[in-house]
Amino acid sequence: MAMEVGQGPGAQFPGAPPRAPEPGLTARRSGGRASLARSYLRRALIYIPLILLVLWTLMPFVVTLGISLKTRGEVFAHPDLIPNTPNLNAYREVIERPGFRGAFLNSVVVGVGTTALTLVIAVPAAYAFARFKFRGRHLLLLFTLLPRLVPSLGLMVPLYRMAVTLGMLDRRLTLVVVYTGMLLPLAVWLLVGFFQQIPRELEEAANVDGADLWKRLRFIVMPMALPALITIGVLAFREAWNEFTLVLVLTSTPGKRTLPYELYLMQGIQGIQNFPAEAAFTILTIVPFVLVYLRIERYIVQGITTGSVK
Amino acid sequence: MTAVTAKRASHPQTPRRKKKTNRDGPGSNALIGHSKWVPYLFSAPSIIAVAAMLAFPVLYGVYKSLYRAPRFGADQEFVGLGNYVDMFKSPEFLDSLTKTAIFVTGCIVVGTTLGLLFAFALNRVLKRLRFLRAVTIAPYIISNVAAAVMFRILFNTEFGMLNRTIEFFGLDGPRWLSTPALAMVVVILAQVWTDLPLTILLLLGGLQSIDSSYLDAALVDGATGWKRAWHLSIPLIAPQLMISIVWLSYSTLTGLGVVLALTGGGPLKATHTLPMDMYSTAFQSLKMNEALAIATFLLVLNAVLTLMFVRFSRRYEVAA
Repeated sequence: MAMEVGQGPGAQFPGAPPRAPEPGLTARRSGGRASLARSYLRRALIYIPLILLVLWTLMPFVVTLGISLKTRGEVFAHPDLIPNTPNLNAYREVIERPGFRGAFLNSVVVGVGTTALTLVIAVPAAYAFARFKFRGRHLLLLFTLLPRLVPSLGLMVPLYRMAVTLGMLDRRLTLVVVYTGMLLPLAVWLLVGFFQQIPRELEEAANVDGADLWKRLRFIVMPMALPALITIGVLAFREAWNEFTLVLVLTSTPGKRTLPYELYLMQGIQGIQNFPAEAAFTILTIVPFVLVYLRIERYIVQGITTGSVK
Repeated sequence: MTAVTAKRASHPQTPRRKKKTNRDGPGSNALIGHSKWVPYLFSAPSIIAVAAMLAFPVLYGVYKSLYRAPRFGADQEFVGLGNYVDMFKSPEFLDSLTKTAIFVTGCIVVGTTLGLLFAFALNRVLKRLRFLRAVTIAPYIISNVAAAVMFRILFNTEFGMLNRTIEFFGLDGPRWLSTPALAMVVVILAQVWTDLPLTILLLLGGLQSIDSSYLDAALVDGATGWKRAWHLSIPLIAPQLMISIVWLSYSTLTGLGVVLALTGGGPLKATHTLPMDMYSTAFQSLKMNEALAIATFLLVLNAVLTLMFVRFSRRYEVAA
């Protein structure tokens, strides 16, 4: 159901209509050895790239996981992929760092805050754009969507100056508000498409039954748009969890940073690099996603495809 | 912005006055029952947030790039395009511009090649091997810093997977991250790694939407394999290809996270791209206005490149 939202060409992918089997694979099955070799070659042409794809994508994860289970000495002494004596020392070391725990808490707070604020602001806005006719609707929608093209690089210095002027440096609230602003164009865009697909008649029927605007939003629109809401939630949380360049300039004191910043600092502070700890830190920042990965995967796909088609 | 135009097109274009009487059936606001201020009230927070966090900062940055503080901490004075003139005279800037050109070109070439290769392969087996889609997008959930750590481990000279493999064949692996030219290669690969999920999904979406009758017709004409891919599939997914290239150039031209976390611009400024230059000008040299000039230049360059790709792709579509 979630897949019907996208309107651009990239969005056909998840819900693409069933297609007839590839004629190339069946039609050329006649003839002797030459065509047999051909069919093997054809198969190799597909499966070799697929193996490459899996290696390319997963190798960094696997190698990092391997290193994180080693000790510092073992990294150089036994550079094999699989550690001789897997142990969780590096993880213990990372978790015991006050920097990690503080950053983890900050990341959770900022992530949840961004998700909540984005949804609270985007839902009514998208509902207004999708359902109501009002003067200036197209212009206002354009004004909401267009700033999505602004890269965060162009925001670093201005947002830093603004935060300094307003005394908002080093506050989790600042991060939440900034990330929400960055996500809103995408969130509104995604929701407008979704709300427009909910039959107006449903709401009219409820209206006749005495359901006011709030009740219709709460009991009809929101439940039906749940897949889109989850998509936005996943995207918002991911953005807040992973964002690096803005948190780099908007926070400065220890205890206010989020995980990516803290991980970035680990390399500089240590002098001699502690690879197992860095690897363990990296793995720990991914864990919340890995735990729910297969459940949220389709929402991520939808978010990526919808978000990029502009 | 396709949705806006699409929506407009789907409405019958009746004059505003007529709309009231004609389309007052199920479409009217009155039936849903609300005051005429509700839509404005509903959309206001979103508009204000976007304006305050995106639109205003960027415009403010462009405006402030026309000013300069003569000494650190002194009052800023208007210098017109002075920052830009000095920027283009500065050898460091021109050096960074070259590095950026290499970086962006490298990322687009590697990213598009791998994206096409993987998308074509996935297109054939996606029905049977659904898990491959989950694998494909895995890098998307990683922060730039985490990706940088992973690549530093992967390309480590002593114990990195890559050099281990090279040593397995009896050769000596290079010092990837301390050799200027090779550091650029690693940075490009890491950046492509983080951006590839989107490229693949876009191209795959294009491939899946190709009408199979085209492919059958080509088969009847005897076009197979590479020929079919090159002359038929790729022209047919030209729009998606264009979008993915635009997106790659946008993401790499303004991309700071991977470079900063992986090499920090080094070794010997070999990977000191323009975003790095902007960052160090602003937050190490503390020349905010000069940094804003670099950022503005990048925004303009990005817009120009996007227009160029779009025009090129139009011509290609017509020609094909």
